[in-house]
Amino acid sequence: MKFWAIFRFEFAYQIRRPWPWLSMAVLMVFAFFFTREAVLPVTLPQNFILNSPFIITVVSMFGCQIWLLLTPAISGEAAARDLQTRMHPLMFTSPIRKTDYLGGRFLAAFGLHALILLAVQVGSLLAVYGPGANPEIIGPFRPAAYLAAYGYIALSNALIATTFQFAVALFTARPMASYFGSLLLFFLSYPVTLTLYMAGLHGRALLADPIGVMAIMNEMMSNWTIVEKNVRLFTLEGAMLLNRLLWLGIALGTLSFLYWRFRFTHRTVTDPWAWLTRRFSTKAASSVATRSAAISVPYAPRSFGYATHLRQTIAVAQSSFRMIAASPGGLFLLIVFPMLLTFVVLVESQHWGIPLLPRTSYLLTKHLTGVLTSPTNYWIMVPLFTIYYAGELVWQERDAGLSEKVDATPVPEWVLFLGKLIGLGLILAALMAIVAVVGITVQVIKGYHQFEIERYVQVLLGFKLTDYLLFATLAMTVQAVVNQKYVGQMVALVTYLLMVFSSYLGIKHHLLVYASGPEWSFSDMRGFSSIEPWLWFRLYWAAWALLLAVVARLLWVRGRESGFSRRLQIARLRFRGATAGFAVIGVGLVLILGGYIFYNTNGLNEYVTDDDVVQRRADYERLYGKYEGIPQPTRVATTLQIEIYPDQNRATIRGRYRLVNRSAVPIGAVHLEPAFYVRTRMSFDRSANVVVADDKLGHFIYALDKPLQPGDSLTLHFDVEFEPRGFRNSGLRTNAAGQAILENGTYITGDALPIIGYQPMRELWSADDRRKYGLPRQITLPDPGDVDPSVTANAPATFEATIGTDADQVAVAPGVLRRSWREAGRRYFHYASVTPINGRDVFFSANYAVHRERWKHVDLQVYVHPGHREHLERLLRSVRAALNYYSAQFGTYPFRFLQLVEQPGNFMGMGVDGSGVITGGEGFFLLDPQDNGFDAIFEIVAHEMGHQWWGMQLKPAFAEGGGVLSESLAWYSAMQLVKKEKDREALRRFMSIMREPDPWPPMRTGLPLLRAMDPWANYRKGPYAMNALSEYVGEDCVNGALRTLIAKKASSLATTIDMYRELQAVTPDSLKPLLADLFERNTSWTFDTRQATGKQTAAGTWQVTFQVESHKVVADSAGVDTEVPVNQWVEIGVFAPAQSGEMLGKPLYVQKHFIRSGRQTITVTVPQKPARGGIDPYNLLDWEEGDNIEEVTIEK
Amino acid sequence: MELQIRNISKTYSNGRSAGAVQALKNVTLTIPTGMYGLLGPNGAGKSTLMRILATLQEPDAGSIRLGDIDVVNQPDEVRQTLGYLPQEFGVYPKARGEELLDYFAILKGFAERRSRKEVVEALLRKVNLWDVRKQKLGGYSGGMRQRFGVAVALLGNPKLLIVDEPTAGLDPAERVRFLNLLSELGENSVVILSTHIVDDVSELCTRMAIINKGEILHEAEPLKAMEALQGRIWRKIIQKNELAREHTVISTKLLGGRTVVHVYSEETPADFEPVQPDLEDVYFATMAGHVGTRKPDAAV
Repeated sequence: MKFWAIFRFEFAYQIRRPWPWLSMAVLMVFAFFFTREAVLPVTLPQNFILNSPFIITVVSMFGCQIWLLLTPAISGEAAARDLQTRMHPLMFTSPIRKTDYLGGRFLAAFGLHALILLAVQVGSLLAVYGPGANPEIIGPFRPAAYLAAYGYIALSNALIATTFQFAVALFTARPMASYFGSLLLFFLSYPVTLTLYMAGLHGRALLADPIGVMAIMNEMMSNWTIVEKNVRLFTLEGAMLLNRLLWLGIALGTLSFLYWRFRFTHRTVTDPWAWLTRRFSTKAASSVATRSAAISVPYAPRSFGYATHLRQTIAVAQSSFRMIAASPGGLFLLIVFPMLLTFVVLVESQHWGIPLLPRTSYLLTKHLTGVLTSPTNYWIMVPLFTIYYAGELVWQERDAGLSEKVDATPVPEWVLFLGKLIGLGLILAALMAIVAVVGITVQVIKGYHQFEIERYVQVLLGFKLTDYLLFATLAMTVQAVVNQKYVGQMVALVTYLLMVFSSYLGIKHHLLVYASGPEWSFSDMRGFSSIEPWLWFRLYWAAWALLLAVVARLLWVRGRESGFSRRLQIARLRFRGATAGFAVIGVGLVLILGGYIFYNTNGLNEYVTDDDVVQRRADYERLYGKYEGIPQPTRVATTLQIEIYPDQNRATIRGRYRLVNRSAVPIGAVHLEPAFYVRTRMSFDRSANVVVADDKLGHFIYALDKPLQPGDSLTLHFDVEFEPRGFRNSGLRTNAAGQAILENGTYITGDALPIIGYQPMRELWSADDRRKYGLPRQITLPDPGDVDPSVTANAPATFEATIGTDADQVAVAPGVLRRSWREAGRRYFHYASVTPINGRDVFFSANYAVHRERWKHVDLQVYVHPGHREHLERLLRSVRAALNYYSAQFGTYPFRFLQLVEQPGNFMGMGVDGSGVITGGEGFFLLDPQDNGFDAIFEIVAHEMGHQWWGMQLKPAFAEGGGVLSESLAWYSAMQLVKKEKDREALRRFMSIMREPDPWPPMRTGLPLLRAMDPWANYRKGPYAMNALSEYVGEDCVNGALRTLIAKKASSLATTIDMYRELQAVTPDSLKPLLADLFERNTSWTFDTRQATGKQTAAGTWQVTFQVESHKVVADSAGVDTEVPVNQWVEIGVFAPAQSGEMLGKPLYVQKHFIRSGRQTITVTVPQKPARGGIDPYNLLDWEEGDNIEEVTIEK
Repeated sequence: MELQIRNISKTYSNGRSAGAVQALKNVTLTIPTGMYGLLGPNGAGKSTLMRILATLQEPDAGSIRLGDIDVVNQPDEVRQTLGYLPQEFGVYPKARGEELLDYFAILKGFAERRSRKEVVEALLRKVNLWDVRKQKLGGYSGGMRQRFGVAVALLGNPKLLIVDEPTAGLDPAERVRFLNLLSELGENSVVILSTHIVDDVSELCTRMAIINKGEILHEAEPLKAMEALQGRIWRKIIQKNELAREHTVISTKLLGGRTVVHVYSEETPADFEPVQPDLEDVYFATMAGHVGTRKPDAAV
């Protein structure tokens, strides 16, 4: 009875407040847009259904995450309003039971939250059935999908979150503390979970997430096929079920604790320190004396000028700083968070289990900073804390009941606003300083002693603090203007979300999104770059911040006048003197700076929106698509004269192509496509007229006066100019990893050169866009069987380049380095390849350290940053081994040069750009393998070397399974090289690294290898299958088949069908079923050694008996499993005790046995005492490690 | 220095359509240097008037001048010489007494560090909080907190000191100590003491005004007001249910379990004995409409 009365009153009280309705509106709009716009293009490229259970679930999930930060005040109010309003004496002395009071209040909060979360489903439904939805992508209405999402995700999260918000508010007696409870949950669910996941602790990550984002995203995003995503209903199972049980358990535990601890008692200020010191001071306090009149207050001067205001501002700032720093949230931010950060950086500074060198550029760009408007890691906590504390500061006096006394002091409003803002800024500055200490601590712990303190200061206290201060100004202004605490928090949060999601809303120009702008970049090679545009945009936003501050000062609530119209009147009165002056200055600066930026982004450079790009691609296809595949001359020779002027950010390329008509018909017109971002002039060595000169779409048609007869050739001359033209919306020409001509670390590519013919790659890709523009629908990649086998590959061309740069730099272009010389204060290099090469030409200029050696006919060149030479020898070892082994197995290395170039920019990857050229980002050179342990450098270089065969020589057709031909075969080659060069034990260690679910967790469903498209199949399953095949069929046979494949497809594109044909030719009939299992079907094997026992025989040998269990399952594309009989030969292995550094000891016995499905017993005899053993010990067929090998139990 | 309040009105729009509440109606007062009492029942508009004087609210109409300062339009100037002790206020519970007072001293314009320390120390001693200056304010008793508020209000020797119901909730000893503190100030400043406790006014104030329902009913000097009632207040002890209808009862109160009735009469009523009028009689007589500058009926 009382319970219901309490519940009803609380529910009714809060439902009449504005914030439940506001938050419902926010969530509804969010769910609407998220369903319609944001989620689709990123997650489901093709054939998605708008109301598929997957989208409904994902939207509910992210809705929960936003809700968590949006409405904690509801729990806070329910828990602590009585204490806050000091009404608790009346309430607590009423004859009610704890159960009624706490239960009623808690359930009311939970009920409100449940109601608010319904808005997510409503928004999601509106997106599907509301106006403007595309009926083509709407599936059948399935209420169960909405109910499952609401029930399993929303309601369970409502219970968990309400518990924590309620508990924190009740214990601190402050409703606002509920935000802190939410922040903690958010911290766990996003940064902590993500960090655990990145560190490879997947199981823990899935459990640690109180909201279940990771469990769902991991399970559904990566493991469900597209078909499953469209039809499969979400239920609680596996990791998600465990996660929910765990957190609901924690929530119930917390509730019981709350019930047990809660007392209907008066709250006194509890301060452990005061309790400790009380003994010494309380006695003095109790002395009663009436001697006040005797004391006269001395005269002291007072002043009310600007100097005093400055002093007052400092006092307010100090007081604000202390308030935050001494609060639990402040302690968390300034002490706990940096400690966690240190731990996280230490744990995450590895790649594939290899430690990374903690270089300052790496720490600063990867771990110690985050982009304000693109919160992809734990740095999202800074804006969230800023929002929270901006509210606390603006409301500080009013919460303490001290506002009237403060408001009656002779302090201008701007002193209060500015002081609080500075206080908050000091907290942020302190955080940044502490983060610098974190970085240095990590370097000390890792034994890295090249401290670059000034870099820390520049990045953290310069770049990052600027952004955070801009945001703090916004948050404070919002709180000051809104003047309702919870609504203020909500508006600030929504404002932040708008900043983050602005690009999804179509707002991409940085002039329109507060505190945004091109990011700075920092790498060892390039130093700081893109600083100038960064600075202009920040100055522009600082001018806006000044205007915000003026608004805050005008609308600052002082005294009791809180009606908005009244505040506007007061604002009008306040708008004079310096305030008006600042407003004018602010507007002036915004106009001047904004104008200058606009001149750069939209005047000097063309500003192209995404819609423009889509439109142009559609136009391109519509206008010129008819030229696809028409006979065009083929490039057979490229000659370039490149001049790079790093200091002036300028370069020119003068070049010519030799073009031959390889077709059977005369060619009357040549189609040329120059690059967009350079100025290009083109001419032929024979008379030709420009028929089409479409600068906008980048298509030129030259009609030749005399058609080019078959077999004839002509020369195209061109001049390409790179020139600095201010900056773009995205900063300088490109970002850190991209092309740029810089003082050090220039990188430009052959994309800047003109291309011959219509380029289908430039057509629109997204099915949705194609539909919108009425372009014929292009479903997916073609089946490999549908590819015309006669389609020829892009012909390779001979290449020659003279490249000049500043005297202190080394310039690189593809080819054998023929000569280098100095001329007119510049340095020139002449590169050439008489063997025709293909791929993308890349050019570099930087202060490189150069290493050259010869391997047989090959000019082996390595170019790295002078400070990145630690592991050069490991790199070369891999290159030499790969050249030897691959040449022997797959055919001679055909090119006369091999270049390994460090590409400026902090990315981790390594890749093949073209024939003979391998590039690695600066991140790759952080890898720091120790001694004889696992050496990722060797494996990765071996993989890229593999691409010189698989990708550069064998060119996959644009079809399903293309990735198997390049990536799978390159990894297979690397695995073979490791086995050959090191041993099976090394391969075993390598495979265990490959098995890590990050970045590609295993997918047992999906398309079979012959048609594979997903990365797990390309990068993992394919190599495993090839490895298994080489063990069953024989390495020589398999590699021989691959060598034949290269030879046969030298001048045409290959598909998996071609490869399969060669593999079938070398596979004996007895193994054909295995081959089919590996490539034609989705087969998975599970082998389990249940028991292994050993016994010494009378002869002194050892008899080992295994109890094994085996299963084989075939999955169809929808994910339906069918169990099939195993009935095949599988390895059984027995191993001696492992020596130090080994995972498995010396093999005593490895033989294939015929295995059936289910349990069976296998007995083998070995000469020595066995230690371990089991079925499929090298994971040839069972690709999930774990239970294949067991310890052998010795029987007496 | 003189505080001149001219025709001040203030109306609250009370939430929804329930109608507006007029908190102040055309209030005009002239308040000289010295202690000035503003007496009135709960909800009379005292706090609204106090807050308007303290620049925390703005009147809908009327003007206020403190000497040369236009209080409504020059709030910054007023605040430089204002001391304000609100009816209810809180403190930062985690701050120490001395620390918070120092903070307020800076806000009040004491920019110079050394002299500010002296002022803070003197004030803390004056309000007898020196010994507990290092304690957290959250641990202060009600009286200590009130005295802390006084210290804040006294910072900078205000020319205008506004004290809103200060003695509510103080024990008798604290109250005496507090009134002593206030009385010292009346010498050079305008001190306005708003209260519903008649004794506060009679003990301290040289002038006073009685306010009810937003209107000033009576403005006088307490002594003269009491004198004016001489011979017009009578009392009788009656039984509880006895109701003296024929008399104009201005107050009834219990005394040792019996009811004492005070009536206002210009002639001697039967069975009544004369009383030496005190300020309470002035108050009740004013509220009942027998004395004062304006009759309450006129406003209806």
